[in-house]
Amino acid sequence: MKELSLRDGRRKVLNWSAITVLCVLSFLAITPLFFIFSYLAVRGAGGLSLAFFTELPKPVGEIGGGMANAIGGSLILLSIASSFGIPIGLACGVALSELKVGVTVRALRLSVDLLTSVPSIVIGLFAYAVVVVPMRGYSAWAGGFALSIVMIPIVARSTEEILRLVPSHVYEAGLALGLPRWKVLLRLIIPGVRAGVTTGILLASARVSGETAPLLFTAFSNSFGFRGLNQPIASLPVQIFTYATSHDDTWRQLAWTGALVLVFVVFLLNLVTRFLIRRRE
Amino acid sequence: MTDSEISLRTEGLSAWFGDHHVVKSISLSVSRNDVYALIGPSGCGKSTFIRCLNRLHEEIDGARVQGDVWISGDSGSENIYAPGSDPVAIRRQVGMVFQKPNPFPGLSIFDNVVAGLRLAGVKRRSVLEEVVETSLKHAALWTEVKDKLKKPGTSLSGGQQQRLCIARALAVRPKILLMDEPTSALDPISTARIEELVMRLRSEVTVLIVTHNMQQAARISNQTAFFLMGELVESGPTSRIFTKPKDTRTEQYITGRFG
Ligand SMILES: Nc1ncnc2c1ncn2[C@@H]1O[C@H](COP(=O)(O)OP(=O)(O)O)[C@@H](O)[C@H]1O
Ligand SMILES: [Mg+2]
Repeated sequence: MKELSLRDGRRKVLNWSAITVLCVLSFLAITPLFFIFSYLAVRGAGGLSLAFFTELPKPVGEIGGGMANAIGGSLILLSIASSFGIPIGLACGVALSELKVGVTVRALRLSVDLLTSVPSIVIGLFAYAVVVVPMRGYSAWAGGFALSIVMIPIVARSTEEILRLVPSHVYEAGLALGLPRWKVLLRLIIPGVRAGVTTGILLASARVSGETAPLLFTAFSNSFGFRGLNQPIASLPVQIFTYATSHDDTWRQLAWTGALVLVFVVFLLNLVTRFLIRRRE
Repeated sequence: MTDSEISLRTEGLSAWFGDHHVVKSISLSVSRNDVYALIGPSGCGKSTFIRCLNRLHEEIDGARVQGDVWISGDSGSENIYAPGSDPVAIRRQVGMVFQKPNPFPGLSIFDNVVAGLRLAGVKRRSVLEEVVETSLKHAALWTEVKDKLKKPGTSLSGGQQQRLCIARALAVRPKILLMDEPTSALDPISTARIEELVMRLRSEVTVLIVTHNMQQAARISNQTAFFLMGELVESGPTSRIFTKPKDTRTEQYITGRFG
């Protein structure tokens, strides 16, 4: 009996020390996040104004101006990326989960996995080679193209995983109603998992909203506002990079505020995603 | 028994998973408006057998079928395994209810019931509404859900979901309804409700029901077939199978000595 309680005590001590260690480590893990947020808030909030969202940047040395061109540019780039990346990613995801396993599917899965791990600067280089060079110049198309390549594997993998969660007998229930396979898939199964698919799309959008490397030598940048899809276009990440490394105080302030806005948007996208996941469960 | 009374007849029906021969040359006939029970220990091929009757077996990788299955329709008898026969058209005549309730996720109760018709091109709202009401009434679910047809099918209880699946299958007006242990995932009350409704369905469709519950077979079926290791040991009127089985293996099974 005595021995038992002794062991009991030891167990409690072990338990408590394990919990303490875990708490300390978890705290260490979230500290950077906390500092990033608070530092950005402190440095960036001062520059928040209507002008930040509506005005173009002013030339060096002049006070004021905003990042309207970068914000608009990012939205345009995201739209281009989505209009290629989402359908292609969805198609890949459906193919991965529905096609009978064979050489094609295995090759596709390998490609998608490899694509996920390709450094985004390399994707930028690729877009430079296949879009910028033939078009003889930086353009919104090139930037959107590069971002869409970042999106494809994310959308494909999440779509595949969501579809795999649907039990095969649900599928068979559709077949048993006398419906062809493609109709069951497109009209009964996929609509049923749209929340999950949306989640993947939002995550991919959040990811590419912050991508800088693939844009550096594809979309490049401009400080005049939108000039057409065949022209260089500004984006939040690239603009932040340019301004943060400048020696102009107004520009550096814009960079901080831009970073705050960018983090906020990405954060929001992640929150919406979480909400969708929670609701699905 | 004249030919016109036969609803479904199998002739030397065999099925394989790869090299594994799981249904061995089964021949049996089911009359119109029978409730036909298939009993036997688990793994004896009951599910595989009924999945051959709506050509669902062949959807599995490496699965294969041999033999004939005749179903009688408006234009006489048709072999569903005849060359050129279209599985999609066959399945519209032979509905199926699965072991686990499986409403389409994310679809409302209404949309679940009309899924088969709507995707086959029926668009008229009034037609769909009528089908929903009659099907749900047949499935004894109408009074419980008539005020929440827009709610997701998955929001219902397990027993209600299974009745929703029955309504969904009935909505395309099949001549034959296959049920694979439809109550094995349900509580006793839900089970009783489904048994009742199956007995009432007799007048509408021919029912083949797999069950591992012998009391259930005795309660609701008029014909029973006993399967063992992929073979049909014996079949006949339920009352006879349960009181005077001809084969000692049947007797051993129904008296609970194995299985
Ligand atoms: N998808 C499958 N792939 C391979 N073998 C299977 C599959 N489903 C069932 N089997 C095998 O086929 C045999 C019959 O199974 P089944 O028809 O499900 O039996 P029952 O419904 O009578 O329990 C079993 O030996 C089982 O292991
Ligand atoms: Mg079974």
